[in-house]
Amino acid sequence: MPFWFLLPAILVTAGVVLVPVAQTAWLSLQDYLLYDPDNARFIGLGNFAKIAGDEVFWISLGQSFIWIIGVVGLQFLLGLAAALLLNQSFWWRGLARSLVIIPWALPSVIIGLMWTWMYDFNLGVINDIAMRLGLIAAPIAWLARPDTALYAIMLALIWQGFPFFAVTILAGLQTVPAELYEAAEIDGATRPQQLFHVTLPAIADVIATALLLRTIWVANSLDVILVMTGGGPGYATHTLPLYAFLRASSSMEFGYGAALALILTAMLLGVVFLYVRQAARSIET
Amino acid sequence: MERRTFIKLAGASALSIPLAAPLARPAIAQGATTVRWWYHFDNPQHSPAELVAKFEAENPGIKVQAESIPWGGGNDYQTRLFAALVAGNGPDCAMVRLSWAARFQQMKALAPIDDLIAGWAGRSDIADNIWKLNKGADGKQYYLPLQYVVLYLYYRQDLFEQAGLKPPATFEDFRSAAKALTKSDLSGFGLRGGAGGFDHWGPFVLGGGASFEKGGMLSEKALAANRWFVDLTLKDKVVPASAPTDSFRQIVDTFKAGRTAMTIHHVGSANEIVGVLGDKVSAVPVPRGPDGKGWTYFGDESNAVFAASKAREAAFKWCAFLSIAENNVVLNKFTGQLPIASSAAKDWTLHPKRFVEASAASLPIAASLPDSPKTPDFIARIWPANMQRALLGQIQPDEMMRAVEQHFHG
Repeated sequence: MPFWFLLPAILVTAGVVLVPVAQTAWLSLQDYLLYDPDNARFIGLGNFAKIAGDEVFWISLGQSFIWIIGVVGLQFLLGLAAALLLNQSFWWRGLARSLVIIPWALPSVIIGLMWTWMYDFNLGVINDIAMRLGLIAAPIAWLARPDTALYAIMLALIWQGFPFFAVTILAGLQTVPAELYEAAEIDGATRPQQLFHVTLPAIADVIATALLLRTIWVANSLDVILVMTGGGPGYATHTLPLYAFLRASSSMEFGYGAALALILTAMLLGVVFLYVRQAARSIET
Repeated sequence: MERRTFIKLAGASALSIPLAAPLARPAIAQGATTVRWWYHFDNPQHSPAELVAKFEAENPGIKVQAESIPWGGGNDYQTRLFAALVAGNGPDCAMVRLSWAARFQQMKALAPIDDLIAGWAGRSDIADNIWKLNKGADGKQYYLPLQYVVLYLYYRQDLFEQAGLKPPATFEDFRSAAKALTKSDLSGFGLRGGAGGFDHWGPFVLGGGASFEKGGMLSEKALAANRWFVDLTLKDKVVPASAPTDSFRQIVDTFKAGRTAMTIHHVGSANEIVGVLGDKVSAVPVPRGPDGKGWTYFGDESNAVFAASKAREAAFKWCAFLSIAENNVVLNKFTGQLPIASSAAKDWTLHPKRFVEASAASLPIAASLPDSPKTPDFIARIWPANMQRALLGQIQPDEMMRAVEQHFHG
């Protein structure tokens, strides 16, 4: 009987998740050009074999790791610092909590356009300020140099995403019982010791969930890159989802694009699996 | 009126509506054909509602459902259109580009409209060379021309006069002028290495002898022309450091800000540029190559009636309506391009005359990109990635040309 209660949820999940995933998997086994659907043909693992020898795939994969670790890591550290500050008592705390959410509330495309103009070689405010402060002697083409472009975009996304961590961690901080801190103080714990031995363990589940969600979102995000550089200069800002998008959108190679997307999905499923296993263990203990 | 009477009357009225409605409805509405048309305007606030209302008043049996689709750099619009056609939910007709024609034909999405064009009175008001450019590879007509632009060279005539220079007519004139004008905060040429930048590369490399025929990118002339173009960045250093990723917005804004002395674009940006620079700016056709040949991009926009449409003739009527002089003028006010109808072009006042003249003077060397299903991918992916790598010195210019050759010919 309980199974029948679950049936509607199972049907909806199958319809909106499993069917598209199955379609993508099926598509990845075909040489399917959107503009030539009549000549689509089954090629088995042909797309995956082609991907293994695709230089741009490996460049994109390497940059995806830098992208995910750099963006999520720095967003987390910045968000944690902001949450700890916002958890303190000061007279304009309410206003500060509202202000910190602004980057998160802006659409990614707007973020991309805004930062593109801030980085602009000729007219951008970043070059202008850096030159006025004497930090650089001449403007830098941040988005046109392969050694700076990826990091410049990462900075934009770090700015946009840190409020998510700040708000989530702040919510977690407010659930930590004050008695724990009182006990720690009585035991003579310093502020850093309280942070590492009381605060962080108490909100570990919140942090883990936030890290998981943000890893998935950042790994899949391509809109900011698309707006700011389109993946260039050359392949300097290509990440895996962007590359999959370009192959599917510009080249209309839906089979190849699906295979690339499937590889990304499999990697993310690995992250989810690790998280779920860890969560299950903590519930058991 | 008492409450009970009111309710009775209201009830009777409500009951009578379904019975009376068929009698009251105009007979024509029962057989109305709906034409779904996809379009894109750069400014989404512009609406073709005025044109739709006029058309529907002139053609009472046809309703036009105009659907604005975001351009999104070309890929959004294009991918959505192809996906809708594959899914069997495509529009009856849509704004399209020549470079997509081969893909449409490969998927059998187009049916020739020669018969409909033959019976259309507005046919003779469109120049023969435009009809030729719009023909399919098999000589049949699939597109109905709508508007066009031709890329030319913008130059700062005040800076040229101060330096005692004439507007460049050849590649070497161009390079000399760019070098002479480049100073600490001014670059001679606002090169576009980002999205859409093939229209800066084309005049110098295709105009210098390269072609899209088999082997055409690897001839000595083609390779030399491409090396020359890359050298503008790497050796001559007459372009801004941001050139490898600069796109439309950057080249126009940098030119407006007085940071570049020349750039290449079309009449679509003329009013915006004149709004800032006034008479300091003018335009000439792009420079010609060493053998006197030249090449510039014919930026087209046509309407196509799709083969799957069940309202083929009505869709054609709507597309033809948009290409008739007076309607074409209204439409081009929204798009900022040039009217396709010759009679409309004569009295065209939307852009300063010198830019319209530069466009007309560029037509003899104007051409479109090859009629190949691989062209859109060349524009969006192959060209930018390889060009940018060449401009950054990551690959040799010849390697870039080999990538382009391989893309088209394997």
